[in-house]
Amino acid sequence: MAENFEQHSDISAADLARLSQEAQAEATPSTAKIIWSEFKADRPAMAALFIIVGFIVFVMVGALFIDTPKMMETNIMAYFNQPFTPEFWLGADSGGRSVAKQLIVGSRNSIGIAIGLTIISSTFGICWGLISGYFNGYIDWGMQRVYDFMMMLPMTMMIIVLVTIIPHYNSVTLTFIFSIFYWEGTSRLIRSRTLAESEKDYVAASRTSGTSHWKIIFREIMPNISSLIIVDCTLSFAENIGVETGLSYLGFGLPSQTPSLGTMISNANDPNNITQYWWTWLPAALEIIILCLAISYVGQVLRRAADASQRQGAAD
Amino acid sequence: MSLIEIKDLKVHYPIRTGFWNRITDSVRAVDGITFNIEAGETYGLVGESGSGKSTTGKSVVGLEKVTSGSILYKGQDITKADNRRKLDYNRDVQMIFQDSLSSLNPRKRIEDIIAEPLRNFEHLSKDDEKLRVLQLLDIVGLDADALYKYPHQFSGGQRQRIGVARAVATNPKLIIADEPVSALDLSVQAQVLNFMKKIQREFGISYLFISHDLGVVRHMCNNIAIMNRGRLVEIGTRDDIYNHPLHIYTKRLLAAIPETNVNQREAHRASRLAVEKVYQEQQSK
Repeated sequence: MAENFEQHSDISAADLARLSQEAQAEATPSTAKIIWSEFKADRPAMAALFIIVGFIVFVMVGALFIDTPKMMETNIMAYFNQPFTPEFWLGADSGGRSVAKQLIVGSRNSIGIAIGLTIISSTFGICWGLISGYFNGYIDWGMQRVYDFMMMLPMTMMIIVLVTIIPHYNSVTLTFIFSIFYWEGTSRLIRSRTLAESEKDYVAASRTSGTSHWKIIFREIMPNISSLIIVDCTLSFAENIGVETGLSYLGFGLPSQTPSLGTMISNANDPNNITQYWWTWLPAALEIIILCLAISYVGQVLRRAADASQRQGAAD
Repeated sequence: MSLIEIKDLKVHYPIRTGFWNRITDSVRAVDGITFNIEAGETYGLVGESGSGKSTTGKSVVGLEKVTSGSILYKGQDITKADNRRKLDYNRDVQMIFQDSLSSLNPRKRIEDIIAEPLRNFEHLSKDDEKLRVLQLLDIVGLDADALYKYPHQFSGGQRQRIGVARAVATNPKLIIADEPVSALDLSVQAQVLNFMKKIQREFGISYLFISHDLGVVRHMCNNIAIMNRGRLVEIGTRDDIYNHPLHIYTKRLLAAIPETNVNQREAHRASRLAVEKVYQEQQSK
């Protein structure tokens, strides 16, 4: 059969190297290059990217050098030590524990949980939505009833109950408990786009080309809704920092001996702390605000890079 | 023996109503049609929009679930997915879509788009595959530098030719062309149609050519079937249909072709109105 094509085209194996080189020269830039040129076009987003990456690296590495149990020991002598002193850069809380060190270890814990939660729940939610939307019919019906059931459960209360009945838990188990409840929004969002996307002709063309269902779902449809996935992931990352923080604030997140952004903000429960000892809670609150803002900036750039009509970057 | 035999094909969509969502009625998109496609010919399927011609095409290529009837290919009924898999059916029967933009995945490079059927059916080596893609691009008149570009970087006519290249890639026996040129302007239509004819001559491919454009069908097809409301109202050769139409619906379609000769304007208008009147009378019966 190959001869059949040889007959009707002047191109033969000898031209292959030359022609593919010519084509390479005319090739459209890769996704990574497009994202980078988008960042270069948007200075605040570039700054935000450096803030996020720098901060996460600093916190992850810094926490390795801090002896957490020793740091969490009560030190009466440093009771509400003033900030900006050589020993306590950001002061100390009511137990005389360094706020700066707690901030580093606490950020590591909170961000770690947020990253883990985002990866697990988004992966699951995306797969659930894609499969449900693509196959439609009875499969969709069944999967959506499971979704409805999960949505019906009171999420915060379930997490609080699970946390109380599990005797020993740490940040890893907490991440898994959160993940059970946080995939739903993503899955519904992805499903709605998949429903629209799988009606398009290129999906039909793939099917007539003999591509399997799974390949169509993950190699054809998923790249086409990647802008939605990226935006959803960045936003849910920002939100997930808040999830752990909120529960720790209520006292049901991480155990009290494990510092986190939430436990630090819960210092603000005490009116005395709010009025006089601002350094016990303000740094953590500021950190969350800055981090979430920076993440949403980066998310916007990624969305623009994924959608050709919104691009601002020069190179194309 | 014909290449493909379609017997009493029916595609009905259920209408669900009421609290329990029970099936109360159905839309008869295709309602019992029978025709054969011979090897190497172009078979025209003509009708107004909503007459079920696209649904017929999609059933033949295996994209639509058939309610009843059979489509025989190599003696097997390919309305069953099992038989399609056994025969590697889509290696032999491919499709060209109407909307060239939405039928090419916007996230894939042209090389990957054209190579998709090759990867699934032929399992060539990397170099052979790239060579085949380059040859296909050459056959449809595109340069090699199209290889690593994305669909949105091409014009409508070029995109449709990429669609043709993808359909031809596995050297199929039949291509379903679902209004392949109706989204293109006239000069580009001629270009794409001539490429399709050239490919037909060189590879001996049959087309099931679905269109509402009678001029294009006359240019392309030897045998023509006229479709209305899910049924075939008239089947015949090009000469039969254009010069001796029998069914009133066919007459009406032909009367609707605009006349370029200004001198005969009044006569043409009168004959069109006369046909329309007969048609309306028969409809109201």
